[in-house]
Amino acid sequence: MPVRKFRSVADMPPPPPLLPLDPQNLKLACELSTTASRLRPLRFPAGVHKHHSLDEALRLRRSWGA
Amino acid sequence: MEFEQTKRILAAFDRHRVDYVLVGAMAMAAQGVVRATRDIDVVVSAEARNVDRLKTALRELFDDPEIDNIRADELAGEYPAIQYVPPAGDFWIDIVARLGEAFRFADIESEDLVVDGVRVRVATPRMLYRMKKNTVRPQDRLDAQILAERFDLREE
Repeated sequence: MPVRKFRSVADMPPPPPLLPLDPQNLKLACELSTTASRLRPLRFPAGVHKHHSLDEALRLRRSWGA
Repeated sequence: MEFEQTKRILAAFDRHRVDYVLVGAMAMAAQGVVRATRDIDVVVSAEARNVDRLKTALRELFDDPEIDNIRADELAGEYPAIQYVPPAGDFWIDIVARLGEAFRFADIESEDLVVDGVRVRVATPRMLYRMKKNTVRPQDRLDAQILAERFDLREE
């Protein structure tokens, strides 16, 4: 692959987009998530947590640091 | 979320014929917008037999009496959003029966993805965009913007 030079990071093209519904996409997301979890391990209180709304669920999730 | 764990959960849902659609970060990833996440988000039918199937699938995966606390009448009524954290406590599953008054299971457009022989029902990009574009959560608004650009959904 040839060397390409840019005057600014802003001039660099983004990576090619992933194809929708490519079976590899979920694997990639899980590998990224596993790496993130190893870098910042968190433990969440086990069990069933019930919420009146998604906003309420989001508040609890924030309290977990996630 | 480890890949094998994620596949086991989705395979159990499929095996037990759970009416669900994958939404949230995992659905974004399936549609090609990948980021790290610590949960699996699913919208489910709150119909009693479906919630029974969901609980059977979860019991097959986790030896956890807490699963009995997931109740169809609550999902259909007062508690439409449940976070289930398995005993290991390193991830959770968001189980949602409705989002406000706007979306229920029957409203969610989905398409199938097959991962290593496991059929996964994934919300379409347009559906994810509609679910995320008007929420207050910054990550959702960013997701909506990315979806709009990637899938040419700006006019919606």
